[in-house]
Amino acid sequence: MENAWYVATIWIGLALVASIISIRTAISVALVEICVGVVGGNFLGLDPHSEWISFLAGFGAILLRFLAGAEIEPDVLRKYGKEALSIGLIAFFLPFLGTMAYAYYVAHWALQASMICGIALSTTSVAVVYAVMVETGFNETELGKLILAACFVNDLGTVVALGAIFANYNYWLIVFAVVTAVVMFVTPWFIRWFLKIFNNHVSEPGIKLIFVLLFGLGWLATRANSEAVLPAYLLGLVVANIFKENREMVRHLRTATFALLTPFYFLKAGTIVSLPAIYMGFGLIVVLLLVKMVTKFIGVYPLTRVFNLTGRTGMYTTLLMSTGLTFGSISALFGYTRGIITQDQYTILVTVVIGSAVVPTLIAQWFFQPKERDMNLTASVKTVCKPEIETSMSEKG
Amino acid sequence: MTTMLKKILVGLDGSKGSFKALGEAMLLAILAGTEVHTISVEEVPRYPGTIDEVIAGKEAADTVYASVIEKAQSMAKDKGVTLKTFVMMGHEVKTIVEFVSQNQYDLLVIGFMGHSALYDRVMGGTCQALVRLTPCPVLVVK
Repeated sequence: MENAWYVATIWIGLALVASIISIRTAISVALVEICVGVVGGNFLGLDPHSEWISFLAGFGAILLRFLAGAEIEPDVLRKYGKEALSIGLIAFFLPFLGTMAYAYYVAHWALQASMICGIALSTTSVAVVYAVMVETGFNETELGKLILAACFVNDLGTVVALGAIFANYNYWLIVFAVVTAVVMFVTPWFIRWFLKIFNNHVSEPGIKLIFVLLFGLGWLATRANSEAVLPAYLLGLVVANIFKENREMVRHLRTATFALLTPFYFLKAGTIVSLPAIYMGFGLIVVLLLVKMVTKFIGVYPLTRVFNLTGRTGMYTTLLMSTGLTFGSISALFGYTRGIITQDQYTILVTVVIGSAVVPTLIAQWFFQPKERDMNLTASVKTVCKPEIETSMSEKG
Repeated sequence: MTTMLKKILVGLDGSKGSFKALGEAMLLAILAGTEVHTISVEEVPRYPGTIDEVIAGKEAADTVYASVIEKAQSMAKDKGVTLKTFVMMGHEVKTIVEFVSQNQYDLLVIGFMGHSALYDRVMGGTCQALVRLTPCPVLVVK
């Protein structure tokens, strides 16, 4: 076995390089880390299979899902429940079924591999959508809030599918389901009470409590052959409001996550990508990306018209809901680490996922940017909650 | 030239060059008897993996620009110039160009970035792009 410090130096060194490239190019560190991982895996002989790297990467993936759940705004979900549920569920199911069917019937993948394909390509990247909206100021409009709420529902569909489809339906699954339900019910008030007593200490007991819950639920999930990201996302969801009141703790958690854990996850996701497989499977990559976008279009666009969005705004919404990145790569990595898909299939899926982060975003921004009058669905309705990020344009002085 | 200047905008990113540009713009503003506006652009990471990446980037930029704006205000106070500062999010060049055309500025003043020729060739020069695309005269201060 190679010296662990040597291996750690290489991995963190690559993460450092990725951070610098990301800062200089303003491209997300997640995407750059995947690309640097591709270089590391294909040219530097980086080995992603070491147990401790897999643990750190897995922990990073769990925290990514937890933090994604914690960003949900329950008020917005309540306000746009019907619209968000309809758009979000359709945006999950149609691409899931469409890409799964294509992989199974046309590309002749095995059934379980096709299911992984369906799950990985059914995702919507809330983060990509959010970044586009922050840049344009849409995140504060009613339309922006509706799209984000629908993205969260879409993500929930993906996480539930990943957790449920491959689970063993046995005694452990019942234990996992019951314990998860109890934890979700008890956690909001318990954490609030805990933080009142033990907050603001350098040893971060609040974060450790969250880690205990995540590890415990993750253990039960894997015993049931389910996936640890499912309880992580749900746990994030139930503590979302508490996190909004404890921004300092969130900042510390975020720092630990992005400095140490997620680099291992994204680099590992990149190292498994095989460049020859991209070359060989390029046609399939393009077709799967098209299938994802077309099925999102068929599902989401008519609904946007039902909810009285203009054609242009409907297309913009549809395209943003066709994006994907983190959830898609997590789903693909889940399939690969469990031996459900091969390295070539993993490569194809991750490349499609990266393509879906870039292509629909560019089309939406170049051709379908909504007009200002379309951005507020109901002009009389004021913002329902305090925006996470303050105004995109502020005047001082 | 100064008699025609009614609205001057300075691209302020906190670099030495941008403060030099601000100093020159203030001198012009005193001569023209007008006020100076600054624009600082926070870049949102493209294709982020998580919402937190966007939020953390915004928070970091807020902290940096708070001190940049404080320094600019103190310069304006010393010189007796009225200063209005704007902080926006988006792509640097696109945001500044749109802001100039929406608010009809008469002059954009920017600092010379001073990257290497290779960097400018690979990444594209912000200065060059602003000079090429901004719909008003641009003064690059070196």
